[in-house]
Amino acid sequence: MLAWFKKSRRLWIVLLPYLLWIGVLFVIPHIKLFGLSFIDYRSGDITLKNYAKFFQSSLYRSVFLRTAMYSIITTMLTLAIAFPTAFIITKILGAKMKALLLLSIVLPYWISELIRTFAWMVLLRETGVISYLLQAVGITTHNIEFLYRNSTIVVGLVYTSMLFMIIPIMNSLDSLDDSLIEASYDLGGNFWSTMREVIIPHSAPGIMVGSIMVFMLNLGNYVTVTLLGGKNSLWFTENIYNQFIVRFNQNQGAAFGVILLTFSVLVVWITLKITKQDMSGAM
Amino acid sequence: MPREIDVSVVNLTKQFGSLTAVNNVSFDVPKGSFFSILGPSASGKTTVLRMIAGFEAPSSGDIFIGGKRMNDVPANKRPCNLVFQRLALFPMMNVIDNVTFGLRRRGGISKSDMVKMAQDVLDRVDLKGLNQRKISQLSGGQQQRVALARSLVLDPTVLLLDEPLSALDLKLRQDMKLELKRLQARMGTTFMYITHDQTIALAMSDTIAVINFGKLEQVASPDELYRRPATHFVASFVGENNQWNNGRVVKLVDDNTCQVDFGGLLSVARAGEKLAVGDNIDLFIRPEMILLQPGRKDSGIVGKIKEINFDGAHSLVVVDLVDSKVPLTINVKLQHTEQTPEVAVNDIVTLSWGQAAANAFHHVAPIADKKEA
Repeated sequence: MLAWFKKSRRLWIVLLPYLLWIGVLFVIPHIKLFGLSFIDYRSGDITLKNYAKFFQSSLYRSVFLRTAMYSIITTMLTLAIAFPTAFIITKILGAKMKALLLLSIVLPYWISELIRTFAWMVLLRETGVISYLLQAVGITTHNIEFLYRNSTIVVGLVYTSMLFMIIPIMNSLDSLDDSLIEASYDLGGNFWSTMREVIIPHSAPGIMVGSIMVFMLNLGNYVTVTLLGGKNSLWFTENIYNQFIVRFNQNQGAAFGVILLTFSVLVVWITLKITKQDMSGAM
Repeated sequence: MPREIDVSVVNLTKQFGSLTAVNNVSFDVPKGSFFSILGPSASGKTTVLRMIAGFEAPSSGDIFIGGKRMNDVPANKRPCNLVFQRLALFPMMNVIDNVTFGLRRRGGISKSDMVKMAQDVLDRVDLKGLNQRKISQLSGGQQQRVALARSLVLDPTVLLLDEPLSALDLKLRQDMKLELKRLQARMGTTFMYITHDQTIALAMSDTIAVINFGKLEQVASPDELYRRPATHFVASFVGENNQWNNGRVVKLVDDNTCQVDFGGLLSVARAGEKLAVGDNIDLFIRPEMILLQPGRKDSGIVGKIKEINFDGAHSLVVVDLVDSKVPLTINVKLQHTEQTPEVAVNDIVTLSWGQAAANAFHHVAPIADKKEA
């Protein structure tokens, strides 16, 4: 079976769909984007103007910084919720409850992100369910707008990317032999030392994969952020969208895209360095 | 003067739902001894060990270690350490970090002292120069040693071992078996060893507790267990045996000796429990305690050789007993002495054995159809 695939020509044929996919949808567009970002929008000359504009404008810079900060905060928050959840699902619950809980985590992802976000809007808007309930209980006497706040964006992002954190952490915890936890206790360890020395080091690859994925998803999110944050969301993807769609300035948009990509690659690389992981280990 | 007791288990019972995994078990483990719990798989022996270690709470009964009641002491505060079946070494740490893990949990010991203590124990288990190795870079035998060192460095009152040798291949297991016994003698630490492998238990232990279906069958020295099994189960489980079912007691010679009848064949037997004339019994005859002589003799039981399984020191002769009214066969260990006759298939031979070779117990229906507990 493996020998059959090892014949090089067969291997290439089997890999062809993947190579087409990565080539047509990833490599070529990014080369194109990269090229576009160095071209002047009006004259067509080669220029660094598009990048200069980003660094000169305090608006773009602060929107970018804000996007980066919120992406990191949201990733950490997602991790803080996902890790205990994944731990309980894999290590504490019986098979039946495990399947049920896992299903309940996956189920929302059968619905499109757009619809899920609309559901949040139904709950959170001024005339929405939560506002109504608060009035019904008597906590407040008037409508409260929960949408278009920073915290709403955070909640939406945590919710929408939770699965991508939980699954890789569950995978890594699954491979942790329960007797290692018992051995730690047997040798005098307690909850925290066992977490710190045994459980977290073992699941570090899963934590890294989850964090990288969630961070990338947050950074590049558009739908959730714009719908829940509204005009004031000030998310960097919105700037890219505006350049491409509203102002028809592909070159400026491309430069923003390259900046965003460079930044996310940088963050991932630094994180891997700090945690002494490597990409192959994490993936 | 009675010996000091390190571990004492009193009327220990563990229920898992409707299943009684451990049923009213009591025993004492003398200080400095090598104590084994021997039983078939799912007999409850691991549950006993896990209760002593603190990973399972007893449904009733008490556990004492070093004279102190342990029932309410959590696992990480008990003066005992467990060597796990699959060792459970920490793969994310190197050898020295594994061994100092417990010391680091204690606190108040300087780093250099920890390394010194760990090094000392690693020397004792003959593992030198591998401190910086990852666990995955060690052989099975080296991993065993790390696991032992990791527990022994904490100087536990009792070291609990959950069949850690079962993962090794046969040759290495034989070596480690002897080494473990020597290590225990050298360190003087009380060892409690759990196993389903009677050869390991018999070779290493000072005392063996045999357990079956959660019940304690017998606690005795290996020699006693082999010579004088106390129950039907121990007789069938420990050592090799020919088991004949449904015989009858015909005569009581004295308190310990009786004569039993199998289809007209009479045999002397040790009464393993209180028997009366007419009782329905099963007889266990040790193949290595049977004398085999060629031809038909005046006394003894006559048979015809059915097959010979030659295997050097472990050669077995299967003999059909021709004078019996019920079909009976018996395995005889072939002794290789000057007097041992040359035998061939279909030869007529005479077998004889003494009271010590045959143990009689009240008949017990085979448990083949009984669900494994």
